[in-house]
Amino acid sequence: MVKMEKLFNKIMVANRSEIAIRVMNACRVLGIPSVAVYSDADVNSKHRLYADEAVYIGASPPRESYLDMSKIIDAARETGCDAIHPGYGFLAENPRFAQLCADAGIVFIGPTAEAIRLLGNKVESRIKMAEAHVPLIPGMKSTNDDIALFRRAADEAGYPVMIKAAAGGGGKGMRIVHDAKDLEPSIEAARREAKNAFDDDTVYLEKYIVNPRHIEFQILADQHGKTVHVFERECSIQRRHQKIVEETPSVALDDAMRAKMGSDAVKVAQAAGYTNAGTVEFLFDESGHYYFLEMNTRIQVEHPVTELVTGTDLVVEQIRIAAGLPLSEALSHLTQRGHAIECRIYAEDGENDFFPSTGTIVHYSEPVGPGIRVDSGIMAGSDITIDYDPIMAKLIVHAPDREMAIRKMIDALNEYKILGVKTSKKFMIDVLKHPAFAAGKTFTSFIETNMANRQTDLESFKEIAVAAATAASLSSSSTTAAPGGGRSASATPWQVMGSWQIGDGIHE
Amino acid sequence: MNSQDFVYGDGEVVTASFEKDGETIRVTVGEKQFELRPVGTNLYATTINGARSHLAVVKSKGVYYIDFDSVLLEVKEPSELGVAGGAGDHGAEKDKIYAPMPGKVVKILVAEGDRVDVKQPMVIVEAMKMENQVNAKAKGTVRAVNFAEGDQVDTESPIIELDLEEQ
Repeated sequence: MVKMEKLFNKIMVANRSEIAIRVMNACRVLGIPSVAVYSDADVNSKHRLYADEAVYIGASPPRESYLDMSKIIDAARETGCDAIHPGYGFLAENPRFAQLCADAGIVFIGPTAEAIRLLGNKVESRIKMAEAHVPLIPGMKSTNDDIALFRRAADEAGYPVMIKAAAGGGGKGMRIVHDAKDLEPSIEAARREAKNAFDDDTVYLEKYIVNPRHIEFQILADQHGKTVHVFERECSIQRRHQKIVEETPSVALDDAMRAKMGSDAVKVAQAAGYTNAGTVEFLFDESGHYYFLEMNTRIQVEHPVTELVTGTDLVVEQIRIAAGLPLSEALSHLTQRGHAIECRIYAEDGENDFFPSTGTIVHYSEPVGPGIRVDSGIMAGSDITIDYDPIMAKLIVHAPDREMAIRKMIDALNEYKILGVKTSKKFMIDVLKHPAFAAGKTFTSFIETNMANRQTDLESFKEIAVAAATAASLSSSSTTAAPGGGRSASATPWQVMGSWQIGDGIHE
Repeated sequence: MNSQDFVYGDGEVVTASFEKDGETIRVTVGEKQFELRPVGTNLYATTINGARSHLAVVKSKGVYYIDFDSVLLEVKEPSELGVAGGAGDHGAEKDKIYAPMPGKVVKILVAEGDRVDVKQPMVIVEAMKMENQVNAKAKGTVRAVNFAEGDQVDTESPIIELDLEEQ
């Protein structure tokens, strides 16, 4: 094996849970040691144990740890890191943090502070994209606190309209308004949520596109002026405006439309002076029109589906780009092979309006098999607390076609056993089994249209539940663990991770 | 055949008869019979109506947590009856409004003396960075508002109490 040049001496991963581990994996394949940061709540977390080194950065509330920029930069300096990967969420789309890294002489693995600032401001980026002739949703071109301005814009665009946080993402600070009388309270609620989530209560208004699909394009841009797209992901299956099932390719696109949208996505990135990996989101309406929604300036939660159909490692590409390498020629000649689906495993009750669920993971075992990937931040014994976002893991499958991918996903969800908190596994299986999903009628309204009256009749599972409890009560009274399969519930992180390590191991 | 009692759902006591045949466990519950074979720690294989399923079950603090074909189920031991539950166990108390999970009260939408209708929004609680709106479960008049906006709440203290209207 040819020894590759080490791109960075050491990378700090300024995040937690599954995405922190995902980034550390990319560091490993590049031969770069990684450093974790952790809070009080994460003392025993998987991501802390997974890194080569780990630094304690404070109390559980994000403001005192994962959002504390100076603590993270100090930790990077102390451990000799010359680059920081922010993951998604937390500081990933904070231009001040990107600037602080640059000022400290540490490479921020992501776009420049200026590109983050521009694209993070939904109002400014709309103006910029209008200039670049990218199709936009009709709506406000500026924003202030004047409710009359909102009323006028709503009347012009026509109801329903959507209130969105200017600094927004992930459904936070977002409200659909169907009737003029609800406009003011909705703006108020959106502002409150935006203030809490992003520390910025600026909201704006645009026309609500009824029954669209959510289709986004993955972008890679190097620091030498080259920008490519790595095809689309369809993320139309959403609850509370948050994606739960994502797939690629989208059934809605033919090659001509894919090429057109892809080239517009590249245009968006270029207009913003974008470098590194990013995602250009579009709404795609029933008549085949598409509108630029926003550009996410980070690695996305759903990036693995792209990786599986294109054979790329997007986080490795992020690190290569940040180190100043040009995009490889191969990235211009990618094709989509087969079909990939991702299901997000949140700690939430899929049988009770997706209320967040907390608790301790008392059993954990992952599905295995060809084309099955699990990006997980949890293990047996993990505590799921209210301190952080409820995403625990992602299950991703790859198969030769969509029909097989759907079946593989259903099977893998059934084999993925997480006990101690609620999840939406059964809900997602019912989505995947729905004839409308099979037919590719995947619109952002899918759940309210098709799943509204869905219920699991728990009474019908009474007997099997009691039979299972009986089996468990018998096995717990015996002194030996149950024999059979190799997938142990009590696997330690080291068993889960395999045996390899880089550098000196954990030294804190 | 041995037998053992369990508690399912809202307190129904269910009796299981069972026998062990090597590793296989045969269980009869009411009219239904099951054969469970261990296939890993906490994992069992069973066949129902010709379809094979893997189920996971583990006991923790008196509760059996079960995943059967992704349906999440809970069974308790009879001794656990009457133990105070956590969030979500207030289903029968229609005159009290609880937070769905510990969090911060961001907005109280009613005041003492207000008449409220079923499903009327009562309070917004923020937890896990999401706002959760809690609605009235019955018609009535607000008797007491026990918390103010900005207060931290748990799932055991009612945020709002109602005098219910006669049905």
